[in-house]
Amino acid sequence: MPLTVIDIERRKRWRIGLLFTILLSLYFFTALALYGLIVLVTLPFRFAAESSCRSPYVPFAVIIIGALAITSIHFWISISTVLGSVVRTLKAGKPDPEDVVHQRLLNVTQEVRLLTKLQKMECLVIPSLSLNALAAADLKGNAVIAITEGLMSRLSRPQLEAVIAHEVYHIISRDCIETTIATSFFGIYASLMDQLRSWSDDGRQTLYQPDFFAFFALLNLSNLLSMFISREREYRADAAAVRMTKNPIALAEALHIISRNWSGGGMISSGLEMLCITSPVDSRDESEGWLADLLSTHPPMKKRIHAILRYAHRTYDDFVAILDQPDEADESNRGGSSGSYYALDNKQQWQGPFSLAQLSAMPWLTARTWLSGEDGRPAFRAADCEFITGALSLRMGSASGYICPNCSQPLQKIEYEGTQVHQCVSCGGTLVENDKIPRIIARQEKKCTDRVKALAGAVLRDNQRAMTISKVTGRDTRQKAGNRCQKCGNVMFRTFYSGAYLIEIDRCNMCRITWFDADELEMLQCLIENKITGTLSDHTEG
Amino acid sequence: MMTVWIVIAFVSVLCFWGIFSYNRLVTARNDVQNAWSQIDIQLKRRHDLIPNLVSSVRGYLDHERQILGQVISARSLALAAQRISDKAVTEARLSLEIKGLFAVMEAYPALKANQNVLRLQDELVSTENRITFSRQLYNDLVANYMTLLQVFPDAVIASLFGFTGVEYFSASTAERRPLPAAAMQQ
Repeated sequence: MPLTVIDIERRKRWRIGLLFTILLSLYFFTALALYGLIVLVTLPFRFAAESSCRSPYVPFAVIIIGALAITSIHFWISISTVLGSVVRTLKAGKPDPEDVVHQRLLNVTQEVRLLTKLQKMECLVIPSLSLNALAAADLKGNAVIAITEGLMSRLSRPQLEAVIAHEVYHIISRDCIETTIATSFFGIYASLMDQLRSWSDDGRQTLYQPDFFAFFALLNLSNLLSMFISREREYRADAAAVRMTKNPIALAEALHIISRNWSGGGMISSGLEMLCITSPVDSRDESEGWLADLLSTHPPMKKRIHAILRYAHRTYDDFVAILDQPDEADESNRGGSSGSYYALDNKQQWQGPFSLAQLSAMPWLTARTWLSGEDGRPAFRAADCEFITGALSLRMGSASGYICPNCSQPLQKIEYEGTQVHQCVSCGGTLVENDKIPRIIARQEKKCTDRVKALAGAVLRDNQRAMTISKVTGRDTRQKAGNRCQKCGNVMFRTFYSGAYLIEIDRCNMCRITWFDADELEMLQCLIENKITGTLSDHTEG
Repeated sequence: MMTVWIVIAFVSVLCFWGIFSYNRLVTARNDVQNAWSQIDIQLKRRHDLIPNLVSSVRGYLDHERQILGQVISARSLALAAQRISDKAVTEARLSLEIKGLFAVMEAYPALKANQNVLRLQDELVSTENRITFSRQLYNDLVANYMTLLQVFPDAVIASLFGFTGVEYFSASTAERRPLPAAAMQQ
């Protein structure tokens, strides 16, 4: 159904008016109920006093005016703080221009601004491994598109463009404003509820508190509101994204990727689900029919992909069959055959043949490595080859201002998984700002080698045993003092990355930086990528 | 006396209409110029990025000298073009060459590990998109301006004050047919 801009505007006003009325009636009935309660409680005293000379309409007037005032305040607060609260709830941050993947997002943002003239639109990054994206806008014309770290690392450029185009349509068509406002009405309570739920895991008694039921009711109200927000918007946004990018396959692929993975349930609070590209709560919900239409915020993903694929004249089965084929592109390494250089590695073994490009990607290559060509020339130092020195200087990066805690050498700023980290050339330890860790874990460009995998397994088993022993004997070996923080000079905490991934790291909670010794970062990535967690049963019994 | 007033009223209405029409033409022309400068910025950006990309990938694409040479020569042709229609043709050619280079780069997995190349490649793709978007805007504004120049009452003012037409930035025909080989030899 073709909607003109004026139609959309009118519908938006109507919907916002409706939201206001719902809120007003909610507060009105609450106040009425409160008044009734007070009257009931004070009934015996009233008979005794016999002072019913006041008009019976006065209390009602007070209730109506009070409800109106509170509703206005609530409405005003929610429309003026909505963007800030959404961003804060998600802990979203600005993209880092030094980061390759974030740079891509910045570029796409610029393109969108040029195309749509939405100068106040911003793209933000949510530091979460889940796969989701959302758009929010307020009445002042400010708009935010937030995309998770996990989704950005999975999508190619055309796919990212398609996802952003989908979100941009929500902003242009203004249907994002009403969702944002609806979300902010009760979404704030809903996220509070999520918080309560997480606390209630520790102490069970929270469940029986009366506040809990109030929040529960509000959460359900917020879900009820989603009934007014039609699932059709998603189809329209998909169609608009295809029109903008002229690339239906990319959008279908992106949705397919999103539907096959964790879309952020538990991480993105359920009050915000109306804003997301797919529902974080039940993204695999494929239910159809009028009840599903009424109750869920998003249409089933399969139906959406079907609709998009019709633009490309493809069928769903063909599409999925192509996508699920194992990627063989890595095997056909064209650079491999053209190699003609041999190099002496750090174990004094000749390796090769490599092309220059492959050689410069070898982690053990330094300026002093011996190289030899195929043509029988005498071996020469890597520093004598112009190409390799260029590649090495790229790899070395610039001095970062930090000192290695192990070898007191200045750390070098290098690119690791597309982001800037600080590494020590001598010992291989790495210093990472805490906000960059989710990015590194989300990206899987660096494949973990068998050596790291074996090492990670061994370290995990070892640490598990140590932890079990410390639990049994009562001596806590964790949290012992480690290296000194290179920023503030205080001692860093030596601790495990998390309870599931037992890799020892040094962390300074004041400066929010983490020190990984050599291989520790790779091991952590390997464990999380391959979902290797410890098997406790072996050791707890022993 | 009455006729004098009528003449005065008529002349002043004519003057007001003339001023209004003149202003409208000037606004439209300025919009077109502004849109052109937007395209120009993006084209310049692309011309600056290409040598960087070529020098970054030269070490990897030893066997693909030819395509790198084609990109470089297409760039210098585009730099040399002066008129808008020439620019449209040469820039379209350059876009094609860049696409060809990207297609070749796809086949070299080692390039995907080079962050510098990835960054430059993305910048170029982004610039390409921005050129497309600003070209759409420019052509829309040119269409608007040309209509003003040609419709009847405004056309009088336009010819009186010497407003001239501007060219569309489009190479739809050129993009489909390859340039004559002679032009590429330069």
